[in-house]
Amino acid sequence: MILLPIFLPILAAMALTVWGRPLQGAIANAVLSFFVFLLTLAVFTSPGSGLIHADALGLLFGALTGFIALTTALANIFYVRGAEARLAPPLWRLYHALCQVVLGATLLGLYADNIGLLWAAVEGATIAATFAVSLPRSASALEAAWKYFILGGVGIGLALFGTMLVYLAAQPALGPGFAAMSFSALSSHAAWMDGSLLTLAFVFILFGYGTKAALVPLHGWLPDAYAEGPAPLTTSLSGPMLNLALIAILRFRHLLQANQASGGAAMPPGPFLLTLGLASVFLVGFSLSRRRDARRFFGFSSIEHSGIVAFAFGIGGPAAIFGGLLHMVLQTLVKSGLFIALIGAAGLRDSTAPGHYGFSHLRGIVHSNKYAGWVLGGAIFGLVGLPPSGLFASEFIIISQTVQRNPWVSAPLGLGLLLCTVAILRNVGPLIFGSPPPHTRPQKAGAEMHLVALHLALAVGLAFAMPGPILALLSNVAGALQ
Amino acid sequence: MSLTFSLAHLMGGIILLCGYSLLSQRRLAAMIMLYQMQACVLALAAFWQGYAQGEINLYLTGIITVALKGLLLPAGLREIVLRFNLVRAVESAMPMAMSLILGVGLIGIAVLVVLPSTMSAVSLTREDLAIALSVVLLGLLVMVTRRSALAQIIGFLSTENGLVLAAIGMPGMPFVAEFSVALLVLLAFLVVGIFLLRIREHFDTLDVTGIEAIERRGR
Repeated sequence: MILLPIFLPILAAMALTVWGRPLQGAIANAVLSFFVFLLTLAVFTSPGSGLIHADALGLLFGALTGFIALTTALANIFYVRGAEARLAPPLWRLYHALCQVVLGATLLGLYADNIGLLWAAVEGATIAATFAVSLPRSASALEAAWKYFILGGVGIGLALFGTMLVYLAAQPALGPGFAAMSFSALSSHAAWMDGSLLTLAFVFILFGYGTKAALVPLHGWLPDAYAEGPAPLTTSLSGPMLNLALIAILRFRHLLQANQASGGAAMPPGPFLLTLGLASVFLVGFSLSRRRDARRFFGFSSIEHSGIVAFAFGIGGPAAIFGGLLHMVLQTLVKSGLFIALIGAAGLRDSTAPGHYGFSHLRGIVHSNKYAGWVLGGAIFGLVGLPPSGLFASEFIIISQTVQRNPWVSAPLGLGLLLCTVAILRNVGPLIFGSPPPHTRPQKAGAEMHLVALHLALAVGLAFAMPGPILALLSNVAGALQ
Repeated sequence: MSLTFSLAHLMGGIILLCGYSLLSQRRLAAMIMLYQMQACVLALAAFWQGYAQGEINLYLTGIITVALKGLLLPAGLREIVLRFNLVRAVESAMPMAMSLILGVGLIGIAVLVVLPSTMSAVSLTREDLAIALSVVLLGLLVMVTRRSALAQIIGFLSTENGLVLAAIGMPGMPFVAEFSVALLVLLAFLVVGIFLLRIREHFDTLDVTGIEAIERRGR
């Protein structure tokens, strides 16, 4: 059962590479994503066993990934309809196949109970995503893909080295074989692992998966990949991939923490994570105001949110971990919706190709279409973490936990968040309500704007009125991984 | 047991030496040659570990390594060098002596980091791990100090050899052969990527999207 949502997309990808016109491919992609979403929900009833065996964290984020993939695929139909002429039909087939490969690999990584499989899943998703970025074949797209590949490759290499060191560190506790690579076995035997080796391993893991999560100083690939690739795949569907890397970091962090708490020789993981998290938030705070391209701009904002989550994991304790996980869920919803809205808005202004996302080009969206303008404005506002945005809840939890557990770092975090908020808010007004470029006429917005509204409503609903079962699930996970 | 040690260390040492010499080579052909040598010794090391640990998987790793990384990848790289007329010297972003000194420093760091933190592990694994980490770091240093895309790739390939060296030294680790295959997929994409990138570097104003549009309209 659990194998279905992983291998259905990967097998279907092969069929998508050889069959169909672009629009047919987009529809097939959406239908497949719908089934995968249903399967990720069905997995809750039978989480599997052995190598691929989903725990509560995997289940929750698996369902989120399925949902994002579904809405992205639906919005993608509108995107393809407008952009069909920009790529040759074989490239469109490849593009839709890559959408499914990224989805399958991300789910494999979330459901795998094995550090080796997790690594392989991240590698597969990275290769597919890089390939996708290079599809437009323009000079800037190739350059972005090359940057992604080199940085991603180094990250993957470091993560593999860290993975092997974790295996070696588990030898005194679990001995040779599969047990020493299973997350559930590792976390129940963390106390007997070799602490100093585990610390060394964590440094490699942090920099390896940190590259995938786009934590500063390894973030360089992300803005380019967001700005140059075929939009829905490299932007909306990239949120779940960032989540996968952050979850990997969280799981390894837990090993370190558990070893240290039970008197092992491991160093506390907090300082590493706090440093990278703060560095990410600050770098983004200072560089956001210089960006002129909306996709690059919101790419940087993804780096900020990865940084906030890493920071929350660094603070530690069940409440901060809960806040970090909630932040991941909400920011994925808001950010994916935002990119769908952004692509729709660019479509209202004539073209969704890279290079048509300059703030000067998009300004005054309300004058093109009222609904699209308000939805896009809502999504951007949702990102800054002021009430009533959903992110307010998660950031509030993280900040209050920081004040409680490690007051010294709360001031820099607050300052960094303020910088980012100001930089984003400065752009909302002109982008939505500013005076539009000459010859702008009102247009009909695509139906994908309803999807964005759904994302935003979900984010607010989850933040302020989370259903009991999900709340219990998330608190249990946070308690177990503290 | 002593033969196991000394042979494994000898081969690890040769791999490290190849990785270090990469720093001092100005010509791409020489770098490819060194990489090929490193890959072949790595295959030997995999066979030897397979024999010492009695693991069939490691023989498989050795065969994959010698066939693909010892023969196929270097051939592809030489083809690129010829095709794009890169026979002349590679530029380096840093003086050669400087990068050699940094290389020694990195090896020192690797040894100082790994040996104290692996006191409890088996002695064979400890030293192998220190060597492997040195090779990984030296490969990254090559990537940092070279500007040409091909030289950076060779640095990455060397890094990856270090990773496989670490993997084959782990006692009874599952998935070793699978790891090396997964890494090879990555490498293959990188080498193919050079072809794409070179297209851009050589015909700077050529935008391939434009060509596709023209082709479609023409046909």
